[in-house]
Amino acid sequence: MDFIVELIASSLRMTVPILLTGIGAVYTERAGVVNIGLEGMMIVGSFWGALGSFYFGPYVGFLMGMSAGMALALIHAVASVTFRVNQIVSGVALNILAFGSSRFLSQVFFKMATTSPHVKGLRPVKIPVLGDTSPIIVLAFILVPFTAFILEKTVFGLRLKSVGENPLAADTLGVNVFKFKYAGVLLSGLLAGLAGTYLSLEHTGMYVEGMTQGKGFIALAAMIFGNWTPYGTMWASLLFGFAESLSFRVVESNVIPYQFIKMIPYLLTLAVLAGVVRKSTPPAADGIPYEREMH
Amino acid sequence: MKKNYKILTLKILAPFIAIFLAAFFSSFVILTINKSPLEVFYTMFKFSFRRLDSIAIILYNSTPLIFSGLAVAIAFRMGLFNIGVEGQYLIGTFLAAFVGFSLEGLPPFIHIPLLILSGMLGGMIWAYLPIYLKIRKGVHEVISTIMLNYIAYSLIHYLISEIFIDRSQKLLIRTPKLAPSALMPKLHGVLALFGIELPKHVYLNWFFVIAVLLAIAIYYIVYYTPFGFELRAVGQNPEASRTAGIDKEKVFYKGFLLSGAIAGLVGLSDLMSYFGYMDLDFPRGYGFDGIAVALIGQNDPFGIILASILFGFLRRGAEGIQTLLNVPMDTIVILQALMIITIVIINKIVGDYIKRLEKKGAR
Repeated sequence: MDFIVELIASSLRMTVPILLTGIGAVYTERAGVVNIGLEGMMIVGSFWGALGSFYFGPYVGFLMGMSAGMALALIHAVASVTFRVNQIVSGVALNILAFGSSRFLSQVFFKMATTSPHVKGLRPVKIPVLGDTSPIIVLAFILVPFTAFILEKTVFGLRLKSVGENPLAADTLGVNVFKFKYAGVLLSGLLAGLAGTYLSLEHTGMYVEGMTQGKGFIALAAMIFGNWTPYGTMWASLLFGFAESLSFRVVESNVIPYQFIKMIPYLLTLAVLAGVVRKSTPPAADGIPYEREMH
Repeated sequence: MKKNYKILTLKILAPFIAIFLAAFFSSFVILTINKSPLEVFYTMFKFSFRRLDSIAIILYNSTPLIFSGLAVAIAFRMGLFNIGVEGQYLIGTFLAAFVGFSLEGLPPFIHIPLLILSGMLGGMIWAYLPIYLKIRKGVHEVISTIMLNYIAYSLIHYLISEIFIDRSQKLLIRTPKLAPSALMPKLHGVLALFGIELPKHVYLNWFFVIAVLLAIAIYYIVYYTPFGFELRAVGQNPEASRTAGIDKEKVFYKGFLLSGAIAGLVGLSDLMSYFGYMDLDFPRGYGFDGIAVALIGQNDPFGIILASILFGFLRRGAEGIQTLLNVPMDTIVILQALMIITIVIINKIVGDYIKRLEKKGAR
């Protein structure tokens, strides 16, 4: 019994960073902007979160982590929405920028390129069965129905989706296409920054270089697997979280070399995408920059 | 005619404006640590161009980047993204290392080409899966190549630290040393004929020459062969290329495998000269540098050579600012990332402007 509870608890902890970023991915892609830079936004979230918490406590840490994610997202929006450059190229550049700047600043503030000292997280909340739990875990799962509600029932959500499906029609009806694309991208940066801060403050208690381990990309895969919906993304994230927590148990048993265990999330991502992509439907104008006709 | 000159000038000017803007923006990062950006950039130049061997080191630094940039550019030409050069070159390097330390007694003129072929084969194997998944299963190559990079990191880690670890020594986790016949000769001998004497600590080797020759070959293939035409057609106008009877899937397969084969060469200059073995600290990140190099070089083989030399200079300069001014080397990573963003934005602006010029001309 204890084993099962512990497995569930650890699965949830592993799920949260993927889920938060995956929901961010839903916002940006529903607005028609592909964001490969989510990984980088998680990286800056994990670094700036730790930095903020180190100097001013966890609340400021979360604020700074989310702001850093949004700042990076703003660059993505300026490049890919305003200047209509290739969204993948911009995202790749942001991942490099996040890696380089975090390493640079880590040397400046922590006097070490790859780790921070221990940093404080939020006070845990008590939950039946699971016991002490990070409030961010609760928040992540509340965000799922909340996002579904936003996308299905609110004016904001419907307009956001219209911009990703048919920007020309939306524009004709008076929807400010650029504004909604910016909103989608910035929200994804905010959530990826939150996910990164969760990793350093709640999950590990310190910033470690490379602690995101490609979770930003896995979150994108989870969103595709979840067919661009919040609930679908949640189930996919739970699958990835469960696989990861299960793989830790296998490492402890020492049967398979741990390098192969480390491959599991990535192999699973490939397998899931290979099995599912043909059956999924992205927003019709996903990844295509919107350009008003020049006259 | 005058208009054509204007367009050409703009296209050549674009990378320089981008580099300048990126340097400008990264100045703010340097200011945060209370250093003068001008001093930092000046030190980079002074440190890099003070002596002849510095220039040789820059060319040595640029060698893997030329291969990496060419690999990325070939995929770009087809409208595909090979973010997986990173994993492809690690697998290629390992396979070459394996051939290098397990075979002995071969003459160099057989052993060296064998390593080169093994490297290319390794890169192709790692490039095959993403292009297969793309064509057969519709998986976007960006995500699959990134996943394969992570898998390659773990696989190489396993192979080096568990299976092929050199047990003749206890200090380091690395493969056995390559046979002497598997090491690439340096350029020192040839350069000495021209009166250029390079010190021993410089590792500039024949891979630089191979990289330049390969760039010329790629230029020829892309612009003067039917395959190159198909490559460009698929990338520029998939619809028209389909009506023209071009088998897009076949072009994708061939082009992506070619990209992977070139990627397999990226690590060989380091492996077969400086290191002579592969360890867990074998240089990483060349694959991502290649993306920046291809973009700054405008996907043109000669542009890629120049961009690689620029990046080789940045790396050399970074060592200078780290040792002389105590500014972290990662400054240049930030600079490179900013260059990617500024170059694509400026290309877009210039491209739109040229379109408008041409429209005006047509009227």
